[in-house]
Amino acid sequence: MEVIGNQRASLGQDIHDLLLRTGKGQSIGQFGEIFQGQIEDQFQRLRRCLVSLPCSSIYSRATFAPIKYARLRVRPAHKQKALKVTQLVLARLNAARIGGTITIESTVPEAKGCGSSTADCIAAAIAAADAVGQQLSEEEMGSLVVEGEVASDNFMFQRAVLFAHREGIVLEDYARNLPKLEVLGFDTAQDAIVETLKHPPAAYSWRQHQSFCTLSVALRRAIWEDDVGLLGRVATASAFINQLFLPKPMFSEIHSMAERSAALGIAVAHSGTVMSILLDPTDRRLENKVEEIKANLLNLGISNVLHFQT
Amino acid sequence: MTAQDVTVLDSYKPKLVKVEDNLTAAAFRFMKIFPAAFCLRRVQEEGWTETQPLIMQTSSCNMALGAAMICNLHGFPLTIISDSVCGDLLRIRLEGLNATLITLAEPGVGSECQKTRIDQIEEVRARIPNHWWVNLSDHPGNPGAYGFFAAQLIEELGQIDYLVGAVGSGGSVCGTAGFLRELFPEMLAVGVDTFGSVLFGQPRQTRRLRGIGSAVLPQNLDHSLFDEVHWVTAAEAYKATRRLYQKTFLFCGETSGAAWLVASYLARKNSKARVVCILPDDGELYRGTVYNDQYLRRENLWLAHLPEAPREVAFPADAGPGWSFMHWGRREYAEVIRCENPL
Repeated sequence: MEVIGNQRASLGQDIHDLLLRTGKGQSIGQFGEIFQGQIEDQFQRLRRCLVSLPCSSIYSRATFAPIKYARLRVRPAHKQKALKVTQLVLARLNAARIGGTITIESTVPEAKGCGSSTADCIAAAIAAADAVGQQLSEEEMGSLVVEGEVASDNFMFQRAVLFAHREGIVLEDYARNLPKLEVLGFDTAQDAIVETLKHPPAAYSWRQHQSFCTLSVALRRAIWEDDVGLLGRVATASAFINQLFLPKPMFSEIHSMAERSAALGIAVAHSGTVMSILLDPTDRRLENKVEEIKANLLNLGISNVLHFQT
Repeated sequence: MTAQDVTVLDSYKPKLVKVEDNLTAAAFRFMKIFPAAFCLRRVQEEGWTETQPLIMQTSSCNMALGAAMICNLHGFPLTIISDSVCGDLLRIRLEGLNATLITLAEPGVGSECQKTRIDQIEEVRARIPNHWWVNLSDHPGNPGAYGFFAAQLIEELGQIDYLVGAVGSGGSVCGTAGFLRELFPEMLAVGVDTFGSVLFGQPRQTRRLRGIGSAVLPQNLDHSLFDEVHWVTAAEAYKATRRLYQKTFLFCGETSGAAWLVASYLARKNSKARVVCILPDDGELYRGTVYNDQYLRRENLWLAHLPEAPREVAFPADAGPGWSFMHWGRREYAEVIRCENPL
C-alpha cells in the first residue's frame, strides 16, 4: 500500500511527465441480490449490507481518452454517476487536472436492479486509472464507487463479500466465490422503472434485524461449505423479508412455482424489479426444470428470461 | 446495552453437546438471561428512561432472576412480580441482586382468585410512582431474543430436522423455531408440556412440575408452530433429569430432563434425523429436589423406571396418566379444541 501511495504522490507532481493513454475498463452486472438487510455489528451499530448475485451476461464497458487540462465529460450524457466516479478516481490518483471524454457502452438494463450504474462506475473507474497507468484495489474501488453513487452493489469484488453498500466498506470477506448457481432471471414489471435513491431505505423492525443475524450466519456457512441449497434458502428468506418493503408483482405465484419445480430458491432485486429462480448446476434434472420453469413463467406473462451461470 | 452486557451474555451462550450420534443438546447454564436482557433493550427503545423504577411481571422465576441479573449490572432498581412461587434457592439469588420479589397468589378456578391477583398488582403499582411496567413473559422480545441461538445452531450444525424443548411462556421454543423456519420451513418443532397445564388443551390442575406448562395461555405461545406435543409427569421429568446426568454428565434442571426424554426418544425412532433439544438451565437450583432421593420419596415422586416410549393420543384430554403425545400438526389452539369437542 505504501509503495503504491508513494508512486501516486509522485504522479501529480509534474503533470507534464505523466504518460497518458486511452484507458479501458469493463464490469459485469448483477441480477438483484442474494442477500440484503441490516445487521447489528459487535458494537450494536446497525449496518445496511448486501451480497450481489453477479451476472456476467450483462456488462458495461468504458473507454477514457485523457487530455491534460481539459474538461471532463461523459457519453452518453446521462451517465452522471460514472462521470463523478471518474473525477473521484483521477483526484485520488493525483491526476485531477486530467480531463477528456469517458464513453460508456452498456448492455446492463437501467433502473431494474441489475446494478447498471455500479457497472458503469466500476468500468469508468478502471478506465480512468488505466489511462494514467494505475490500478485500483477492489477496496478502493468499493469506497470510490459508493462516494460517487451513494449506494452501490458489490461486484467490483472478484469474490463474495458482505458489502455495506451505503458506507462502501466490506463487513465480511468470505475470501471465496459464491457457490456456482444456474440462474433464470427476468423482470417482474417490464414497464416500471426504479430509481435506486428515490425510494427510502427499508425501515426494518428489530425482529427483522434478528432474522438478518440468523441469515448472515447461514450465508457464511453456505459460502464456506459450498452449499447451494442453503444459499438458495438464504436468498428466499431475504426476498420474503424485503417483499414487505418493495413488493414484486406475482411474488407468491413465482415463489410457489419455483418450489413446485424444486428450485433452490428465489432471489430479488432489493431496489429494482428483477427477480430470479436459482437452480443447482449439478442437478441431473436441470434441463427439464429449466424448460418447466420457462413454460410456467410464460403462463404468468414473462417471456423474456435470461439464463446464466454464476 | 453495553460492552459489559455483551461479555456477560457471551459467557452464557449454550454449549452444543453431542449426546447421541443424531442428538445434540444445547446446554444453557441459564437461558433466561437472554430474553430478560433482550426485553430490557426493547423497553429502552419503547421509551423507558433509566431514572424510572421498573416493575416487571413474569410467569417464570428464572426469567425474574435473569431480569434481576441484567438490572443489577446497571444498578436499575427493580421490582419483580412473579406469577409462580419461587424456590428458596432462587429467592436467595434474586434478593442477592437487590431485586424486590412479589409473588402472586396462584390463579384458582373461580373469578375470586383472578381478582386477588389483579388487586395485588394494582397495590404494588400504586406504591411505586412514575414506574415503567412490563410483562416480560408476554413481551414480543421474549421469543424475539432467540435469533442468536438459531444462528448458533445453524453455524455449528447446519440444517436440523427436530427442535425439541419444554414450553412455559412460549419464548424459547417458539422464538427459536420461528427463526429457524425462515430458512428451514420443513423443520419439525416438538413441545414438551406437563399434565394440568393449559398450554396445549389439558384441563387446568395444580402442577407438580415447575418450569414447564402454565395455568394461563401466554401471549407468546404460537400453537401453529408445533408439529408434535408431549406431556410428561413430574416424576418422569425428575427421573429423566437424573438419567440425563448419568448418561451425559450434564447436571441440569428438570425442564432439561423432560426435553431430553422426548428428544432422545425421537432420535432413537428417527435414526437419520438430526435432533436438537434445549436444556434451559443447570441443576444448581434443583439440588434439594431433583437430585435429592429423600425429597423424591417423601413427595411421592420417585420412579423406578422411565417409560420407553410415550402413549399416542388423539386429543389433549386423552393424555395421561403417564408420558403421552399427540400430532398437533401446526394447528391453532382453537382448531385442536374444536376437533376434540365437535358441536
